Amino acid sequence: MIVRTVVFAVLLLTVAVIETSVLPFLPVPGLTPDLLLLITMAVALKDGPQAGLRVGFSAGLLADLLVAQAPLGSATLVLTSIGGIVGTARPYLASQSITAPLVLAFLTGAIGTAAYGSLSLLLGEDRVTWELLATSALRVGLFNTLLAPVALVGIGRLVARFPMGSGGGEP
Amino acid sequence: MYQRRRIRILIGILLFVALLLITLDVRGGGDGVLDRLRGTATGVLQPVQDGFSTLVRPLGTATDGVRELFSLRSDNAELRERVEDLEERRRVVADLERENRELQGLLDLEERLQFETVAARTVALAPSSFEWTITIDVGSNDGVARDMPVIAGPGLVGRVIQVTPSAARVLLAIDPNFSAASRAARTGEIGSISGRGSDPMLLQPLEPGADIQRGDEIVTSSFAGGVFPGGIPIGVVADEGDTTARLTRSITVLPYVDFTRLHHVLVVLSAPVEPVPPLEGTPGIPFEPPPISPDQDDTDDMDDTDDTDEAPEDPAPPEDLGNADDGSSP
Repeated sequence: MIVRTVVFAVLLLTVAVIETSVLPFLPVPGLTPDLLLLITMAVALKDGPQAGLRVGFSAGLLADLLVAQAPLGSATLVLTSIGGIVGTARPYLASQSITAPLVLAFLTGAIGTAAYGSLSLLLGEDRVTWELLATSALRVGLFNTLLAPVALVGIGRLVARFPMGSGGGEP
Repeated sequence: MYQRRRIRILIGILLFVALLLITLDVRGGGDGVLDRLRGTATGVLQPVQDGFSTLVRPLGTATDGVRELFSLRSDNAELRERVEDLEERRRVVADLERENRELQGLLDLEERLQFETVAARTVALAPSSFEWTITIDVGSNDGVARDMPVIAGPGLVGRVIQVTPSAARVLLAIDPNFSAASRAARTGEIGSISGRGSDPMLLQPLEPGADIQRGDEIVTSSFAGGVFPGGIPIGVVADEGDTTARLTRSITVLPYVDFTRLHHVLVVLSAPVEPVPPLEGTPGIPFEPPPISPDQDDTDDMDDTDDTDEAPEDPAPPEDLGNADDGSSP
């Protein structure tokens, strides 16, 4: 259990650094996926709500610490909710389906980004406009869908190598 | 059943903690414990981010090079660079000439533009789609402090909003939370400029009927104790706005800096300009309000004021207040 926790902590830190330091410098214009959200979705889909909640909370807290202006806790709230919702919905999805995870990646990317932006807007961040909210949500949803197969395969191998302990959250 | 209850309790606890964090951060303002926690996280991750960006940057550069080779753009890029260099010289010369006339030789122009700076590299961009900030690899150990201006080759980049010993976070000029005192380089008309994200910047002149035209260059102004030294190029007027029947006038300005390609920047270490104190409060300078004669009407008073030469021995006027004098000269 401790090894799994350490592995996922290192994974989240690496993903956060890649998102802020690597993707902006790649020669792909407008490349703005939300990798932390994608990881949260993939873990919740593979391991259920309890793992999704934990990873979502940690990923959200990390994202909150790396932004300067939005209230700390906004991303935590959104990613924890995404992890919980996807994990809870897991038994209702066809386990061998290829399209379901892709659709889920698009929906979580778009809805998560829109929810984060709306929350910022409600908390007085007037730099967020509805137009920006819509374009960002669509763009993140699209890029997350493109990267979903890689994330799902990678997370699948990781959770198989480091399964949850006996007190895990298998529904 | 037990598992479901356990998950519900976990959901409740985690969401409560998230809401608690939001409440604490919103109520704590900009200098609370959570803000310091953010500063610490930035300081810890900055070396790792620096390493990653150093590894990736050559890849982007190499790809750009190959692309330019195949599309025969190298000659074009060189010529554009020369044009940009000449344009920049022309802009600087125009602004310096105007300042020279305004200040009547009292200030050395070269000295005014020789800022003390420290060079920095961009190591990270904001992970959010809703804020325009960058993280740079210099901090308080290099003399960087909050509110210091940040510039790049073409002009103003933004200002420092968070500092750690080895890194700093910069609010870009296009962020909607950014605003600065500015003036038109050609006429000296002053106003306030603010960012609008991916849209062009917005300039609101102090006087709605100000003589600002399309193509005019906008530079920073130290008017009213602004945090920026005067004369840093910001952008060029794209739309001069509607001047009729409006109390305020909105002018769109295209920034000179390409904020999507910020690799190297300079942090201006010069202290922000202090606001000019009111004359009444200045020790050693006697101030008496002008006498009002009861047997003269308002019109006469105004005429007398205009004609009198009994102005007190003012210290040198602030930079932008001299514009009015200059505007009346041919």
